[in-house]
Amino acid sequence: MDEGFDAITLEIYWSRLISIADEAAAALLRTAFSTIVRESNDFGTVLMDVNGDSISENTGGIASFSCILPRTTKHFLAKFPAESWQPGDCVITNDPWLATGHLPDITAVSPIFHKGRLVGFSGSIAHSPDVGGSLWSADCREVFEEGIRIPPTRLIRAGVRNQEILDFFLANVRVPDQVSGDLEAQITANEVCAARVDEFLGDTGLSDLQGLSRALQARADLAMRRAISAVPDGVYRATLDADGFEPDVTHIVVAVTVAGESMVIDFEGTSKQIDRGINCVMNYTHAYSVYPVKCALDPFTPRNEGSYRAIEVRAPEGSILNPRFPAAVGSRQLTGHLLAGAIYKALAAVIPKQVIAECGGAPTMRCLFSGQDQHGDRFSQVLFASGGMGAAPHKDGMATTAFPTNAGAGSIEAFENVAPLVVWSKQLRPDSGGPGQFRGGMGQEAVIEVRSPGPLRLSLISDRRDHPAQGVLGGKPGAAAEIVFSDGTRPHPKSRTTIEPGMKLHMRYAGGGGYGPPSARDPAALAADIRDGYVTDAAAYQGDA
Amino acid sequence: MAGTARIGVDVGGTFTDLVLHDPARDLVHTGKLLTTPDDPSEAIIEGTLRVLQEAGLTPADLHSIVHGTTLVTNTVIERTGAKVGLLTTAGFRDSIEIAKEIRYDLYDLFLEAPPTLVPRHLRREIPERLDVHGTTLLPLDEEAVAREATALVAEGCEALAIGFLHSYRDARHELRAREVVRALFPDLAITLSAEVAPEIREFERTSTACANAYVQPRMKKYLDKLEADLARIGFDGRLYVMLSGGGIAAVREAKEFPIRLIESGPAAGAMAAAFLAKLAGLDRVVSYDMGGTTAKMCLVEDGAPDHKFDFEAGRVRRFVKGSGLPLKVSVVDMIEIGAGGGSIARIEPGSGLMKVGPRSAGAKPGPVCYGRGGTEPCVTDADLMLGRLDARYFLGGEMALDGGLVQRAFATGVAEKLGVTALDAALGVQRIVDETMAAATRMHLAEKGRDPRGYTLIAFGGAGPVHAWNLARLLKIERMLVPLGAGVASALGFLVAPPATDMVRSYVARLERLDFGHVNALFAAMAAEGRKLLEEAGADPATLVFKPAADMRHVGQGFEIPVPLPGLEIGAADLPALQEAFFTSYLKTFGRVVRDTPIEALTWRLAVSAPGLDIRIGAATLAPASLAPRGQRSVTFEGHGTLEVPVYDRYALRPGMEFAGPALVEERESTCVVGPGARCHVDAHLNLVVELNG
Repeated sequence: MDEGFDAITLEIYWSRLISIADEAAAALLRTAFSTIVRESNDFGTVLMDVNGDSISENTGGIASFSCILPRTTKHFLAKFPAESWQPGDCVITNDPWLATGHLPDITAVSPIFHKGRLVGFSGSIAHSPDVGGSLWSADCREVFEEGIRIPPTRLIRAGVRNQEILDFFLANVRVPDQVSGDLEAQITANEVCAARVDEFLGDTGLSDLQGLSRALQARADLAMRRAISAVPDGVYRATLDADGFEPDVTHIVVAVTVAGESMVIDFEGTSKQIDRGINCVMNYTHAYSVYPVKCALDPFTPRNEGSYRAIEVRAPEGSILNPRFPAAVGSRQLTGHLLAGAIYKALAAVIPKQVIAECGGAPTMRCLFSGQDQHGDRFSQVLFASGGMGAAPHKDGMATTAFPTNAGAGSIEAFENVAPLVVWSKQLRPDSGGPGQFRGGMGQEAVIEVRSPGPLRLSLISDRRDHPAQGVLGGKPGAAAEIVFSDGTRPHPKSRTTIEPGMKLHMRYAGGGGYGPPSARDPAALAADIRDGYVTDAAAYQGDA
Repeated sequence: MAGTARIGVDVGGTFTDLVLHDPARDLVHTGKLLTTPDDPSEAIIEGTLRVLQEAGLTPADLHSIVHGTTLVTNTVIERTGAKVGLLTTAGFRDSIEIAKEIRYDLYDLFLEAPPTLVPRHLRREIPERLDVHGTTLLPLDEEAVAREATALVAEGCEALAIGFLHSYRDARHELRAREVVRALFPDLAITLSAEVAPEIREFERTSTACANAYVQPRMKKYLDKLEADLARIGFDGRLYVMLSGGGIAAVREAKEFPIRLIESGPAAGAMAAAFLAKLAGLDRVVSYDMGGTTAKMCLVEDGAPDHKFDFEAGRVRRFVKGSGLPLKVSVVDMIEIGAGGGSIARIEPGSGLMKVGPRSAGAKPGPVCYGRGGTEPCVTDADLMLGRLDARYFLGGEMALDGGLVQRAFATGVAEKLGVTALDAALGVQRIVDETMAAATRMHLAEKGRDPRGYTLIAFGGAGPVHAWNLARLLKIERMLVPLGAGVASALGFLVAPPATDMVRSYVARLERLDFGHVNALFAAMAAEGRKLLEEAGADPATLVFKPAADMRHVGQGFEIPVPLPGLEIGAADLPALQEAFFTSYLKTFGRVVRDTPIEALTWRLAVSAPGLDIRIGAATLAPASLAPRGQRSVTFEGHGTLEVPVYDRYALRPGMEFAGPALVEERESTCVVGPGARCHVDAHLNLVVELNG
């Protein structure tokens, strides 16, 4: 299994390759221009072998990205065969079906050469500040409205930039400096990774990465198989509903089949694709199905291509989880983020101590403001904020924290410095955590007043208005999401509208679901919740009615 | 006035270390005794009297005492601070709980957020609001301030923090709120966010204010008692404390802003390395301090350690970024990783591979070789098994190590599970821990756009010199330096640190829209405050050095870089120079420049310092000069097998002596490993200088 590497050497080489991916990520973070990469963590770096299989990935970042990047690389290899790559190449795409499911994410892959031979690939993904089109939104009808689509393209060939392609792309975006700055950061990250791998091979005397890659994949595969085989065999089913886009509720149906040391996750029966931007391509469906399984079963083994070999993910073609081109996909997270909850719901019956209740922050809820400030400067700002995590088998859910994604939040003082908005409050929502033996994480409420000289554009990207996060094993749902204007009107939760100066927008982020029956809540914990105002009515909390 | 001698005292969790230096007598003397946790000043007084007596001096011969303490950091870690109440802008009482909304571990479903220092029922909302320009959107409700403060005191709060939105821009609401509370409760300790950390970003600023309030009552009581106790024994010199940024300050500053002492102890090690670097004429240095539980690395360039202006305290997981409470304080920028002599080796059940650390056997039970009941093999055990340590000469022979126990622990603990020999398992532990340190060092430097090649490694701490050669090799560092007394070298930092302080104010504006009058007023205020603090610390006003800087970025970016400014007064005529200074810093940090995007400044900083002291490291404890090895030992090196290696007595070596690796150099608290192919010479300051490719 270990391809001739002893266990100690394998551990050392594995750590070294992970730290190479981390160093590439540090280079990306350090040189990226826009706030989105840096403040909302929306990026990833992966080191792959010559087949495009991942060997290591950066430690932070967005878990789904590193799972998808090798798939994109294999599409690149289909178009540009291995023997055609030259040192200094860089291939990019943002095609949702080949890559991460929506246009704003740009994937860049560069070859790694050692002693003149192709030995692997370094890849990075970053959420670009803009890709033209409709701004970030959920209500487009086709992908063509959502921005410019770049098929797999050699942006750099043997060290020479294709300036015409770059100009073509930048002519289609609102903030070309920022977009090109972030793209350069991705190229730098890939170069750092390639240089470090070359150095690593020189240090170790290995001629290529293939034997090591196989050995490391086998170790990761073994760890996952061991973890799966500890789960009793059987077929575990669950369904889960979300608002979707009326009149269509998003209906997720999942069957998780555990047989020995392998697992099949099948979404047969899930809603059909829809002519709105919430379709979730298969790559994204796969990534957001296997990630929660890893968290629940094998959280400690470092991840690579072997980690998910034991898990198969299926979704019917033409469904909202495997849509056909040219479906609109801009806000595919509104659907993809639901899958963790569905899978945990299915597995709760058999591994109750390893899962959590549904999360209020899945999917994320975003409001994006754009327009002109008092100086006449254009701005475009997203308020990053999250609902609460679902409760766990032995503890309350974390307040205001996203799962399965991991986008953070910034400072309100900094936010007010870059946008003509005043945030009058951003605080926890009492009673928003789903009651249970363990309480769901609290959601929050933000109140934002428009103080620009003229009207602003507002894009809302949210769900959970009609479908709050459910509890598990007797736990109750968390509070639903609410978006209300100060005049009492409620905007469509997936819409683009105009908002006048003086108007206040109340964004109420959903709470997480509870775990276990509320009647089993420790009275001291409930008393502490009452004292701190997380819960305002003990009787209502415990009332199982 | 008092005499000439100085004492540095480091109160650690287990030991209180003292180092005495008297330039008039060219004398250095060290002491070590158990910390007295209930009242740390007991051990300080006892230790001070002891080292003075051993050196033939009295308290009246002391010029000063410089004190470093882990009391602040331990108070936060152990959550043993005061009951604190917090007044916030209405709508923002949960900022410190909502935090950054990031999961610090991507795969742990059950991760815990660091508990806040102020529970929600003690966080009270005050109607008031300023905007980004300091304009009033809602006047301060003074009745609410009085009502809520009264309620908090009735709840038993011993200290109060006040954190209002945009107070970094204009502190008037916080200042007025303090007046209102003072009128009611004249003796209540109050921390204003605008005074302790006047920087933009409400969560971090308020968190810092809460932490300061949290540790203040305990620190004040402690420092009051220490001053009284020192006076009682006849000390009439100056008492200083070591700040986290590596400067020393008068006790008053420590009582007002005790949070500035959060990294008081570790800063000394970096200051010692900076001093050694200057002495040896090295301008690019990686300082490496490895002890029983952790290893700390710090970049030292041009004789000064790197600084940063944020720190995380009281982490849920000690070595995981993002799992602690953020503080806006000036600290020496170092990384700390869970790699020390006591780090435990284990087999990871999932992958079946070996990991070393971050779990540590600590002092009790300690590594297996201590024979105090430890059964899991540690890094020190591996060092012993590989011949790097001498079972009979550990701590100068005070403690005998048990090699037989170690052999068995490796054989049954890890070797069997990995299918290798016990010796290979021990070598594996060393390889893994060294690789871990190398990876962390590479990352730390990479984040600053630096490459370790071309740097010199300065190694100290008990385990530092044991692992330095291999670490340097992995980092492709060609030279390392090991000071005499490597095991206690960090205490030197207390004696060489200068009086210094860092001031900060935030004011956000694009460069072309800057109100220079406002900027200059900020600098004038900071300079006056800095001058006052350093004069309190006994610095000569004529020698003060002022270094102004601003944190700038392109509009649209989410991060800032520090940019040095030409002077304390700037005007419109300086605009092109400011832009160029930004581009220069940008290029240095990111390797490129973007010229056409507007630039903005967010935060203005002023570093004020006086010159540090130069001291000569005394040669009191040396043995007669000799280059003859005092013995031989079998040492196992990766890739070289087991070699017979000469063992030199560190105390017999003199400047100019030279020998080839492989070799071991032993001193009381540490052993320096010189690997095959390296050459070692002793420099004029008795440092060992090892050229890896001699």
